[in-house]
Amino acid sequence: MPDGNSAARDEYVVQMKKITKVYSNGVAANQEVDFNLHRGEIHALMGENGAGKSTLMKMLFGLEQPTSGEIVVNGEVLHLTSPSVAISHGIGMVHQHFMLVPSLSVAENMVLGMVPQKSGLFIDKAKAIEITKEYSERFNLHVEPEAKVMDIPVGMKQKVEILKALVRGAKILIMDEPTAVLTSQETAELFVELKNLKKQGYTIVFISHKLNEIMEITDRLTIMRRGRSMGVYNTKDVTKEEISRLMVGRDVVLSVQKDKANPGETVLRVRDLEYVNEWNKKMLDKISFDVRRGEILGIAGVEGNGQKELVDMLFNFNTPNSGTATVNNVSILGLPQQKIRELGVSLVPEDRMIYGIAAGASIEENVISDRSADKRFNKGPLFNMKAIHDEADRLIREYTVLCKSRRQHVGMLSGGNIQKVVVAREFSSNPVLILADQPTRGIDVGATEFIRKKLVELSRSGIAVLLVSADLNEVMELSDSLIVMHNGRIAAYFEDTAGLTDEMMGEYMLGLKEQSKEEVRRVCHDEKTPA
Amino acid sequence: MTKRRQLKFTMIRSLVAICIALLVATLLILISAGGDTFQEKLQATGEALKQMLVGPLFRMSQKKGTSFEAKRLADILAAMIPTIFTGLSVCVMFSANQFNLGAEGGIMLGAFASAMTAIYLPMPAGVHAVVAVLVGGAAVALIMLLPALLKTKLNVSEMVCSLMLNYIIMYVIKFLMNTYLADKSRGQIMSYAFQETANIPPIVNNTVFSGAKLTWGFVIAILAVILCGLFMYRSRWGYTIRMIGINQDFAKYSGMKVGAVIVLAQVVGGFLAGAGGGIEMLGRYTSFSWSALPGYGWTGLTIAILAGNNPYMVPFAAFFMAYLSKGCDLMATYAKVPAQLIDIIQGVIFLFFAAEQFLSKYRQKLVVKSAKEEIARANLQKEG
Repeated sequence: MPDGNSAARDEYVVQMKKITKVYSNGVAANQEVDFNLHRGEIHALMGENGAGKSTLMKMLFGLEQPTSGEIVVNGEVLHLTSPSVAISHGIGMVHQHFMLVPSLSVAENMVLGMVPQKSGLFIDKAKAIEITKEYSERFNLHVEPEAKVMDIPVGMKQKVEILKALVRGAKILIMDEPTAVLTSQETAELFVELKNLKKQGYTIVFISHKLNEIMEITDRLTIMRRGRSMGVYNTKDVTKEEISRLMVGRDVVLSVQKDKANPGETVLRVRDLEYVNEWNKKMLDKISFDVRRGEILGIAGVEGNGQKELVDMLFNFNTPNSGTATVNNVSILGLPQQKIRELGVSLVPEDRMIYGIAAGASIEENVISDRSADKRFNKGPLFNMKAIHDEADRLIREYTVLCKSRRQHVGMLSGGNIQKVVVAREFSSNPVLILADQPTRGIDVGATEFIRKKLVELSRSGIAVLLVSADLNEVMELSDSLIVMHNGRIAAYFEDTAGLTDEMMGEYMLGLKEQSKEEVRRVCHDEKTPA
Repeated sequence: MTKRRQLKFTMIRSLVAICIALLVATLLILISAGGDTFQEKLQATGEALKQMLVGPLFRMSQKKGTSFEAKRLADILAAMIPTIFTGLSVCVMFSANQFNLGAEGGIMLGAFASAMTAIYLPMPAGVHAVVAVLVGGAAVALIMLLPALLKTKLNVSEMVCSLMLNYIIMYVIKFLMNTYLADKSRGQIMSYAFQETANIPPIVNNTVFSGAKLTWGFVIAILAVILCGLFMYRSRWGYTIRMIGINQDFAKYSGMKVGAVIVLAQVVGGFLAGAGGGIEMLGRYTSFSWSALPGYGWTGLTIAILAGNNPYMVPFAAFFMAYLSKGCDLMATYAKVPAQLIDIIQGVIFLFFAAEQFLSKYRQKLVVKSAKEEIARANLQKEG
């Protein structure tokens, strides 16, 4: 819908210039990202989870404010301080998890916050239904205005979300992984609707990492990796393989010296682990693998392919539907965390701010959290403060935690130093098995290198390490052997990481290829030689 | 931020809140003050403020001028005894992030149980008082299992549960008093007199403080502060309580017994409130005659918030509250300002502490700065 006033204004409907976002916990989610949208295009925003795409879109929708950089919408520099400001400038968002009130009808949800009234007091339901019908027809998005949201299928809920944005005057629609919850039929339907919207001059941002969908529906795509933009491409000019390489390729190569592994007996044995989540999606599909003494087994994969669920099962944050997991032949499924730790299992959790630390407590209090009941730290009913001080000082020194003193609050440290506090505790508890889940995500180079070296050192001293990482560089550098997860399954097992290339990995990670059952089963080491 | 800086920050924040609260109070007094001209109003306000701020410790008279009065200090210290206990009780429970509001009913039940022990269980002097107070504490510790277990087993809100429990306790006690336990020979509903052996004696001869009842209960309260501080900061249980309060997910992941410790915190909190009730009852009264919730629990809530859940700060906060309360009483008596003003001042203080955002923007700035520096360093390293 060119208005003819100025050509420059029409070229880009949205320009985000040199956007940097630093969260209050010190994580730099976006670094100098440029992002722009043509009017009337469907633009894919791609990248692994944690690459910074949701952060970028949250800033466009006013949920977060950039630390630096500027956002230009229709040629006007805007400060998007809240979603309502964004909506008033025609930016709408369809969230992955629907923001609907289940007990209200579709029409009531549609007009929430802008309710039509009768004689200034009552909700005009007829009017709400009329509005819903009108928009539903205009955009060819079929919904049932009078049905309650809790009774309608997922696909229709999504249409309600889209209509909600449109009713509020959105011209730019941000869709956060819209197909993640849809069946393939619903997806096909959605694509027809999106193309229809595009024809009417609407601009759509399509967040996804499903390659086939991107190729089918988008005009251009922006790829993000580790908080930076990897460039903008016309969809028709790039191949799936190129996208895969840009998305999951490596950037900084830190080389960690390591000797060849000399794996011993199996420590962690996982067999046929299966988990179906609350939305009936199979997140783990009969996963089996072994981790042996003295080796690092890496798990690579785009996030959301079952890695998180796997770690949750192993530390009893969740219960699988079936399957077994043992540590030195003792079953760990369903054990309280204290018992799991007593068996010698350590976990560097994926979300360090939630599980890894108590931000409002001191470094000292954080490093003794798993051992506060130990005899050596207690004298009668009271703590042996000297022993605790010594332990904290020793760990701070050994793990080079940059801080003013052991009494400093962990929340005040930088991301890298926070993670050092976590690993200091987890690595120093005499573990037999370390579960390291995204151990270096979002932290500085120095801390990253330090943690990686420690992991190698510990594995060579005879500890079994399971390394889960979305950072390809990390899993490929550190792992002695490697499995790739895709769609809740082990897509590939590589006994030796030498000679693996990014391209090969990318193809397995994005589901373009999958190894045979027999090849994957090799990771169960005791089953290799038939009895 | 180191602990010391944290403490400094907390103290500055408390001070700012108190100053703003007093400012608001001054304005209110000015509005409600008697007098026809503004000049007169101003004078009345000055008089009232003087009574409130200086009065609790000094007697002001036209003839003798201003003189220190030990009785008033003793009154304030005595008034602190129950509120120190409820303050500690709330500190322990809130530290575990358990918003148990049962200190109010707890202090009444503790007083009641101690009173019954003092009346019906004959024991030698000395032992009797100790046992009576312990019974009071134990009774409340036991009843606090109710909200605690409902929380951990069925995820019932401990706040709602404990709040309702206060009234159940009160009415059950009233029922028992009215039907079974009242001394029928008296003109009002009150129990039989406590046995002499159960009395908590005054610290010094009563005449020194011209009749003010400053008992050994005060010393026990200060001891309780120290013990509670050791428990919270120097023992593994207190440590676990605090970690659960700061981040329950972290505590669970670290292998702490979260459910058990949540129960423990409320049992300990209950014991403190109950023991406080017993000490107040045996020290100040000769028979049980409470027919309504005494309000010490609510004051304890304010005290715990003022003290930032730190047991060592509780006596100071309790002193502040007792001083303020006494000041407002005097102001109402001598300067004709409604005593309800203290409620307004309390409300304003609450307002400033409840809003965690208050002054916390500064912290965010520090974090962003350090993160930026780190990025810059990382980039430098990459290029170099």
